[in-house]
Amino acid sequence: MAKINTSDFQKGIFIEFKSEPHQIVDMQFVNPGKGSAFVRTKLKNIKTGKSQEFTFKSGESALQIPIEVHEMQYLYKQNDVFVFMDNNSYEQMNIAKETIGNFSNFMKEGEIYQILLFESMAVGMRYPKKVRLLVTEAEEGTKGNSVTGAKKTVILETGVQVTTPLFIKKGDVIAVDPETGEYLERAYTK
Amino acid sequence: MKAWQRLIGNKKLWDKFFLREKIIQAIRFFFIKNKFHEVETPLLVPWVIPESYLDVFETHLKDRNKRNIRKMYLTTSPEAYIKKLLVAGIGNCFEITKSFRNSETGSNLHNPEFTILEWYRIDADYFKILRDCENLILHLNHIVRKNRGLSPSNYIQYQGKFIDLKPPWKKISVSEAMSKYAKISFADTIYKNKSKTADIFNNQKILKIAEKKGYNVKETDTWEALFNQIFLNEIEPCLATLEEPVVVYDYPLPVSALARRKPENPYLSERFELYIGGLELGDCYGELTDYNEQKRRFREEAEKIKLEKSIKINIDINFIEALKIGLPRCSGIAVGIDRLVMLFLDTNNISDTLIFSDMYK
Repeated sequence: MAKINTSDFQKGIFIEFKSEPHQIVDMQFVNPGKGSAFVRTKLKNIKTGKSQEFTFKSGESALQIPIEVHEMQYLYKQNDVFVFMDNNSYEQMNIAKETIGNFSNFMKEGEIYQILLFESMAVGMRYPKKVRLLVTEAEEGTKGNSVTGAKKTVILETGVQVTTPLFIKKGDVIAVDPETGEYLERAYTK
Repeated sequence: MKAWQRLIGNKKLWDKFFLREKIIQAIRFFFIKNKFHEVETPLLVPWVIPESYLDVFETHLKDRNKRNIRKMYLTTSPEAYIKKLLVAGIGNCFEITKSFRNSETGSNLHNPEFTILEWYRIDADYFKILRDCENLILHLNHIVRKNRGLSPSNYIQYQGKFIDLKPPWKKISVSEAMSKYAKISFADTIYKNKSKTADIFNNQKILKIAEKKGYNVKETDTWEALFNQIFLNEIEPCLATLEEPVVVYDYPLPVSALARRKPENPYLSERFELYIGGLELGDCYGELTDYNEQKRRFREEAEKIKLEKSIKINIDINFIEALKIGLPRCSGIAVGIDRLVMLFLDTNNISDTLIFSDMYK
């Protein structure tokens, strides 16, 4: 396990906290006014799923937990469980919705995703910065197509709704930021 | 899409920023009505108040041949300049201005450039400023509610909590908070046995306490760092659960840069911090008027900055000179206007209060 410092802390990384493996799910810089700065984190225990807040002194060190990244193909969804297949071992793995988070709204069957494993247990997923998805339903943009600010809601192939500019049509492939669910750009038209 | 681009045709978003406008106008009206002078102080200055925990923006003033004349800074607060005006005799005054702090990215509560409100009262105890806070925030709540077409009320909803703004607000001293929430008997050592008072300020002592609590401590950790870590982990989260504003007061001297010592207890300073719904909104001082003590604290801080950051900063000697002439007994407070707007917009992210919020990303 590598020793890291708060300046290496990032949302999504895994550290040992009170002898248990935790993921940093949120972090904030804090400056209380006098004295040194701090890093306030939200830590999720990856064994129990419980979250807690802890504020580290700036510069404090922690052990980073080695996490394996496996490429897995998303096969199908069964209730709230997502079934993946490991591309190396061809073994199937069930991953709970909570582990994947909101990204599940943007997953396409058959696509390959990077799954994070700790002691053979799926603990998270490495999200791409953007995903490209087909627009399957969109109202026709009416007049004012050139007004950059006007918005409408479209439905993508995974069923998720996204707010886009008026010029987006059914059949367009658009890029979306899966973390915020925000429209980024039009990739191309099918 | 940039934040300002999202404004096009978006009435809801405009309303948010118009509310900010209303709040700033109402603040101005409040102080003018209470006969405070509004002052303007420089943003680009040749000296700063040495505060080792803040990173300043530095630049250079140049002559017409582009040769450097001197180092310049963007102010981290208008305090030093307002105090010069207090020395000169302006009396009660306020300022709404911009301040700048570097190295504070990665936070929902900070923006490198932010809007700050400071006001000062002559011949006033620091708790007189608390009365101002109560009146100001109640006034703002009425204005905001009126603007939304709601009937007058003392309540405000913030992040799922209904907060009762009715004065007087709850007050808790640092020592009470320490014993109540962190189970450290600060109060006993400070108030009951004067000879033992210094004990809690002993690095070894707080180091042992922190270690016992399971914090990761090093011999080199400063007293302030350990105190703040305990405060942030064990006290602040409890304050955030309260459904009323809370004022934490009488901070230990080592964590109060420009505050006056409490006459009855040399280890504490006249200072309070205001929290509403867990948001830290303001920092108030009974102002330090003793120029010798101020000079000593400045030197210590400057020394620390030199050690920690290997940079030499220009201390505002002018400010010490002003104190020498005589700062009248006064109290003052700095309030983050962006944070106030956060409270009224019911958001936990400062960028929701700023039209040009994402320019630093």
